Amino acid sequence: MSWIREGELSIIERFCANIIKAGPMPKHVAFIMDGNRRYAQKCHVERQQGHSQGFDKLAQTLRWCLNLGIREVTVYAFSIENFKRSKEEVDGLMDLARQKFSRLLEEQENLKKHGVCIRVLGDLPLLPVDIQELIAQAVLFNKLCFLNVCFAYTSRHEISNAVREMAWGVEQGLLEPRSELMAGCGSAPPPSFNLQP
Amino acid sequence: MSGAGGLAWRALHALVRALLCLHARSSRACAAARAAWRRRGPAHGGAARGRQRWRADGRALRKLPVHVGLVVTEEEPSYADMASLVVWCMAVGISYVSVYDHNGIFKRNNSRLMDEILKQQQELLGLDCSKYTVEFANQDKTGQVLNCQSTLKVLSPEDGKADIVKAAQNFCQLVAQQQRTHSDLDVNMLDNLLSSTNGFPDPDLVLKFGPVDSTLGFLPWHIRLTEIISLPSHLNISYEDFFSALHHYAACEQRWGK
Repeated sequence: MSWIREGELSIIERFCANIIKAGPMPKHVAFIMDGNRRYAQKCHVERQQGHSQGFDKLAQTLRWCLNLGIREVTVYAFSIENFKRSKEEVDGLMDLARQKFSRLLEEQENLKKHGVCIRVLGDLPLLPVDIQELIAQAVLFNKLCFLNVCFAYTSRHEISNAVREMAWGVEQGLLEPRSELMAGCGSAPPPSFNLQP
Repeated sequence: MSGAGGLAWRALHALVRALLCLHARSSRACAAARAAWRRRGPAHGGAARGRQRWRADGRALRKLPVHVGLVVTEEEPSYADMASLVVWCMAVGISYVSVYDHNGIFKRNNSRLMDEILKQQQELLGLDCSKYTVEFANQDKTGQVLNCQSTLKVLSPEDGKADIVKAAQNFCQLVAQQQRTHSDLDVNMLDNLLSSTNGFPDPDLVLKFGPVDSTLGFLPWHIRLTEIISLPSHLNISYEDFFSALHHYAACEQRWGK
């Protein structure tokens, strides 16, 4: 299953999209991928199936965002806290990640055509080496729209990593300790809103 | 905005606003009707009975938050209503309370809030309030009190992101002076370098008052695992609404990522 589902909107969806687009639109939406296991329980399927279907719905959502002209989407896919889950579930999620990042590699031409920039944010050294290698190949640096995938992520680790890098800059004599850079990090604007089921 | 799409959007927008307005008016009417009863608490004419009931209420919950953040997103905060909330927190047995508004109004008018809290303590908990005396964590004049069971902090946006920036700059200063290396910095060290909540645990629960779907800069580092419960307004808030939120917290399942 592709990251951004193919196909245009139905007539009703197009009608609703036109109404929504006529008003103010968020520039950046973040999705918290929560509820896959509850969904699996409700539908009496395995947890892994819940996670897989969660990804399918994400692909559909990304298509809606593209159609609505939302230029930046962030997806919180896997938290460092999620490593506390059972080995079976974590291995299953890593296998899903392998599949999906490999698929990203296959779709690179199509994504480049749409000008999609893919960034993967997180403490990547915590991940299996083969997944780190896939991610390194899968990231794209285009400029029309942005997809940030937070994988092995927590905000505290992100902030700490940023401060550590600045401290490295100070060590190397590249930055002053009281640099204004510290107050404004990163190139992405904050999300206009977060969606969590 | 132009064309049929724009017209349809405007019509939909107007309908939604009208519905929200009706709902808000109805909520305000109910809240005003409860306002007179609010300050008396559950037992009319008996602060002592009220005190006992509040303690019992707290003990009856499956879990009680250790630190509650009271976050006001409305433009005009009410000192009396915020004082009620703080005193109720103390009365049910919550050990740490923080008060926040994104304009820093409560922080700038700290004394006024304190006076209101002390007044309501007396009114709602009776004259003998030595067991419930609150220590104001960021207040110069009030000293340590015996049998102190609750601590209050009044916070503003400078205690949020700005505190993280200050901690980062302080660490970089240590690196520049070669007292530390960049690889010394990890999550725990940065946590210890933050000063806005010294001695306070991270908030277990945030009660957010007002229509804004955001915590507006309240302790962004500290609320990674916090349960956030939204309430329409802190104006004329009743004890029942407050306790209902605590009940909701007690019933929620927290998996901490597991």
